[in-house]
Amino acid sequence: MRAASLAALLLAASFAVAQPAPPTVGARGKPAEDGCTRCHAVLEDERLNAPALAAGHDIHHAVGVGCAGCHGGDPTSDDPEVAMDPKRGFAGSFGAQAIPDLCARCHSDPGFMLPYAPNIPTSQREQYRTSRHGKALEKGDLKVAVCTSCHGIHGMYPVKDPRAKVYPTRLVETCARCHADKALMSGYGISGDEVAQYRSSVHHEALTRKNDLSAPTCKTCHGAHGATPPGLTSVTDVCGTCHSTQREGFDASPHRDAFQSMGEPACEACHGNHAITHPEDRWLGVGEGSVCGRCHSEGDVQAKVADELRGAVTGAAARLDGARARVGAASRAGMLMDEAEVKLDEGNEALVVARVEIHTVSPAVVSKSTSKALDASAAAEKLTAEAEAELRYRRGGLFAALAIIALAAAALVAKIRQLES
Amino acid sequence: MPRHRHSWAYYFGGATLFFFGVQVVTGILLLLYYRPTAEAAFESVQFIMTRVRFGWLIRSVHSWAANLMVLAAFVHMFSVYFMGSYAKPRELTWWTGCLLLLLSMAFGFSGYLLPWNEVAFFATRVGTDMVAKVPLAGGWLLQFQRGGEEVTGATLTRFFGFHVAVLPMLTTAFIGLHLLFIQRQGMHVPPSLEADAKRRPPIRFVPNFMLREAVVWLAGLAVLVLLAAFFPWELGNKADPFAPAPSGIKPEWYFLFMFEALKALPGTIGGFEGEKLGLLVFALAGIAWFLVPVLDRGSIRGKRGRAPIVVGVLVVLYIAATTLLSLFGVL
Repeated sequence: MRAASLAALLLAASFAVAQPAPPTVGARGKPAEDGCTRCHAVLEDERLNAPALAAGHDIHHAVGVGCAGCHGGDPTSDDPEVAMDPKRGFAGSFGAQAIPDLCARCHSDPGFMLPYAPNIPTSQREQYRTSRHGKALEKGDLKVAVCTSCHGIHGMYPVKDPRAKVYPTRLVETCARCHADKALMSGYGISGDEVAQYRSSVHHEALTRKNDLSAPTCKTCHGAHGATPPGLTSVTDVCGTCHSTQREGFDASPHRDAFQSMGEPACEACHGNHAITHPEDRWLGVGEGSVCGRCHSEGDVQAKVADELRGAVTGAAARLDGARARVGAASRAGMLMDEAEVKLDEGNEALVVARVEIHTVSPAVVSKSTSKALDASAAAEKLTAEAEAELRYRRGGLFAALAIIALAAAALVAKIRQLES
Repeated sequence: MPRHRHSWAYYFGGATLFFFGVQVVTGILLLLYYRPTAEAAFESVQFIMTRVRFGWLIRSVHSWAANLMVLAAFVHMFSVYFMGSYAKPRELTWWTGCLLLLLSMAFGFSGYLLPWNEVAFFATRVGTDMVAKVPLAGGWLLQFQRGGEEVTGATLTRFFGFHVAVLPMLTTAFIGLHLLFIQRQGMHVPPSLEADAKRRPPIRFVPNFMLREAVVWLAGLAVLVLLAAFFPWELGNKADPFAPAPSGIKPEWYFLFMFEALKALPGTIGGFEGEKLGLLVFALAGIAWFLVPVLDRGSIRGKRGRAPIVVGVLVVLYIAATTLLSLFGVL
């Protein structure tokens, strides 16, 4: 990823494409100090001073790759005529079409990249060539994304820096700059709603509310440099990279071949794509709100299986909820319910497994886990019943104690009256 | 025992003694299982409440009786104050009584921390912080209380020591003195009730008054059992010194009248630190209250003026209002 940043910063070079000479770099690992930033920083025109002012936090400058690394020229001279002399390799600014190759001069050269970042991939240029963006660029479409569109131009941060435009929490916004623009997207047959849909998804929720940086963003499913929509049949593989247990279940199910023969995207059929919401038990069966009912209808054999699955999961969930409520009430009444809570946790675990096993669409497999959940609920209920009995015993004891106290008090009052009469 | 229309006031000292007795008995029972370290205190109280037979009852009764003891002591003190019973020659009874009230508040403060739960931990941190405001010796007093810079396991051990050894010893000694003075000087009858008392025959202490007091004690026991069974004292969550303080931390109700006033004071008043000034005012007011047998010149001459009554009413109104408003979440 760091290579990607570097590639993007080496921004300016149609010239370089024409003349693949090694870029001008300073001492490795030392911030680049040159005449370019010295002069440009004090220029009044913002267009000209901004790149120099941004050099202070730029990853390329930080490791010794200065302005001339991309723009050419002589950075040692304070004379603008000399520094920006085309005879000294000065190339000026670059068009979009030139940028991928300009960045690739370093970022596709493993030998060059090795001293800076030994583990960085150097295949970004090749991947880009296979992407929708790269293919369109080759056809002369200058509106598509190139390296700098996502990574920025001057003042580029390393990919792992939270300020970087491609950092997980900022990446969606970066893609949205083009992909949420409906007018721009209409030219490519894309609706432009995808980002808004993603923002309503569980993945976005995990990223933004739970601060889970490993939660999927656009690039997790579409790829970064080779960005392309996953093919219909590859959706299962894409989702399965994270949801491996669900995928295993699905692969063992009759759905796998059925979807393949229909050429339908498997996971997407029930879960959607960008707007993936929390799955619910009511999706099972063929009744209202079900997803099985989209393909199966009441009365057929598969519908029976779907209803059976729904019954098993919702039954176990309801029993567990009921047990949880009773345990909570006993706990609030002052009883220690830790053993019952362990049982509830066990039940919840079994229910989670059952919900994952739904992907096998096998009632025999699912009912094994739901039975475990039911057993755990029953164990929690038994412990709660004991606690409730203990509570009743305490209350009973209280009334007995109060009766004895009242009798004693009455006897004392009678004695006092007798003494004082 | 004199008999008049305010004879009821004579029972509250005994009620306080009853709750103290309950505290001693239940406290000893709790000692059988309680472990005074930061690592084990919370778990040991949890163990008492859930695994020890009748442990829940003993712990709940101990907590409730502590509160009822302080309440009974306050009622006793104010009834003594309004009847002017502190007047010469009973100054020593008043003074030992005042010290006993302070001791019972110290019991409450030190016992509050012992379960080592979240609320108690942070309330103790705030409470012990106040001591640091004392001029000159503040820093030393803070260290002495906490056994270090912060509230830690060392503070818990220290509070435990005070709670089960130092305070009971002092309290027993002062109760002995308090009762000795009462025994030597007899019960006081306010001048305004003397005529009433003369009209009615006095109550013999043994057995009549003792039997009546026993009825009061039985009523106290019934209240305790009811509270312990229907409102079991909660344990809360274990204290975590590294967690941020939860919102709405408050001390026990009998410190609220001071806590709310100090909280409401501005940061600085006329160049002085607000909280420090507030503590100074409370300290002076406490000393004045303590010295009332000397300050109330009228009571020395046998003729009590209106001023002490007005002051007493204002004090009761202030304490009752701030405590209730704080308990109901208005303040």
